Amino acid sequence: MIEIKALTKSFNGQKVLDGVDLTIAKGEILVVLGQSGTGKSVLLKHIIGLLKPDSGSVKLNGTDISQLTERELLAVRKKVGFLFQDGALYDFMTVFENVAFPLVEHTKLSVQQVTEKVIATLESLDLHEVGNKLPSELSGGMRKRVALARAIILDTDILLCDEPTSGLDPLRSRDISDVIYKISRKLGCSTVIASHDITNSFRIGDRLALLNDGKVAAMGSAEQFRKSEDHFVKEFMLR
Amino acid sequence: MERVGLFQKFHNMCCTIGEALVFFGEVLTSIVQGKIRWNEVRKQVYEQGAQTIIIVVLTSLAAGAVLAMQGYVSMSRFGAKEFVSHLVALSLVRELGPVFTALIFSGKAGAKIAAELGTMNVNEQITATRAMGVDPMEFFVVPRMLASFMVLPLLAVIFELVGMFGGYIVGIFQAHLPGSFYLSQTIRAIEFVDFFSGFIKVFFFAVIISWICCYEGFKTRGGSLGVGQHTTNAVAYSYILVIISNTFLTKFILTVWG
Ligand SMILES: Nc1ncnc2c1ncn2[C@@H]1O[C@H](COP(=O)(O)OP(=O)(O)O)[C@@H](O)[C@H]1O
Ligand SMILES: [Mg+2]
Repeated sequence: MIEIKALTKSFNGQKVLDGVDLTIAKGEILVVLGQSGTGKSVLLKHIIGLLKPDSGSVKLNGTDISQLTERELLAVRKKVGFLFQDGALYDFMTVFENVAFPLVEHTKLSVQQVTEKVIATLESLDLHEVGNKLPSELSGGMRKRVALARAIILDTDILLCDEPTSGLDPLRSRDISDVIYKISRKLGCSTVIASHDITNSFRIGDRLALLNDGKVAAMGSAEQFRKSEDHFVKEFMLR
Repeated sequence: MERVGLFQKFHNMCCTIGEALVFFGEVLTSIVQGKIRWNEVRKQVYEQGAQTIIIVVLTSLAAGAVLAMQGYVSMSRFGAKEFVSHLVALSLVRELGPVFTALIFSGKAGAKIAAELGTMNVNEQITATRAMGVDPMEFFVVPRMLASFMVLPLLAVIFELVGMFGGYIVGIFQAHLPGSFYLSQTIRAIEFVDFFSGFIKVFFFAVIISWICCYEGFKTRGGSLGVGQHTTNAVAYSYILVIISNTFLTKFILTVWG
């Protein structure tokens, strides 16, 4: 459960978020749509406390994380998976080590248990025999899936995905979107996806929020978006 | 206008220095709280050492030899060529060892630290670390700085020993001093304070270099251009600060211990 209330954020005097209100229920997939530079990434980073709001609040399961110190936030983040736009995998670690990293850091599992869990997670994402490769040796689509594996390995409550389909061809985009959908349903986690990929967002989002000028300009199901008479929504969908 | 520009620059500089101090404070806090990942430290010691040692050995051999050659010429004018070994040993231990090693270290290991951290920053790997609930200071910065504190002094000792060996070869073959005489003179030349003052210097340089390079890497923004820029800055600032602080350290040490 994520509750965002009246969230504002400026950088160097430029208002990026200007009063965003959003609630994402447990098990729900919300897609945040918007053109480049509208603050989708900034919004996601607030949900995990990587950025501090100028005003407003972000509550995860009832805790207002904007009040927490960095130390306290580190603990909260164990339960949140973040898929970065370019994966942000450690380039000095193998795929296996990357995916195992959160387990090694935050659990007391034995080497054997870690290995089993990592392999099972990789397999469930259709990643076979890549464990010993370096991230730089993988294709873009595979890198994203490895990054997704790393994001969910701790059985996250909350999954945040920043432009999961960017830089991928239409087929791969569909694949990764389906994988996110499957995982999200399996874990029953609240999922927020930032995207400007309308096709896939409509396929997997329970609800969509269109961000414009730092505010939520429109909100609803894919069906409601398709039927919308709102000028701005129509324009955005035609692009 | 001119005034505002100058004031702005001064203001920015103060902000940067303030930020860098806070950064160093965080590192010290982590170390004091015992948040030290020895496994990472060990890897860094190996990487930083392996990267720099060959240049250190080559440079010191040459520096020691050149010192002895020049020392031989000038000392012979006073009829005191036996003191070449003194000159070589003291110069190495008090000045050349610490300063040269620090400069080599910042060009190699320091640049590597800044470039690595900078690249990780630009690729969001450092943000991702925070996102996974791990403190990037503890994971990336503390091990690199601690490793530098150990590796640089060690490299300086190697520099000094190899440099003396370079001087020894020149002493024997050019100055025709007996080998055993040269050695005993060298040992007699160095007092504990010489070694100790050299050590203070080199440790101070280790702190400066690793601090600057980690800080520059950590605040890198703006893609590959940013990485290039901040890495160059890191090395340039390290050079300047090593050279300048050496002057003051030397004055200080000479005042205190003579
Ligand atoms: N750390 C930051 N410092 C300054 N400006 C930022 C920062 N992060 C984002 N911005 C600015 O905020 C705006 C929104 O960025 P972002 O959230 O990345 O957009 P997008 O919707 O494409 O993900 C951009 O104008 C960007 O320049
Ligand atoms: Mg973005």
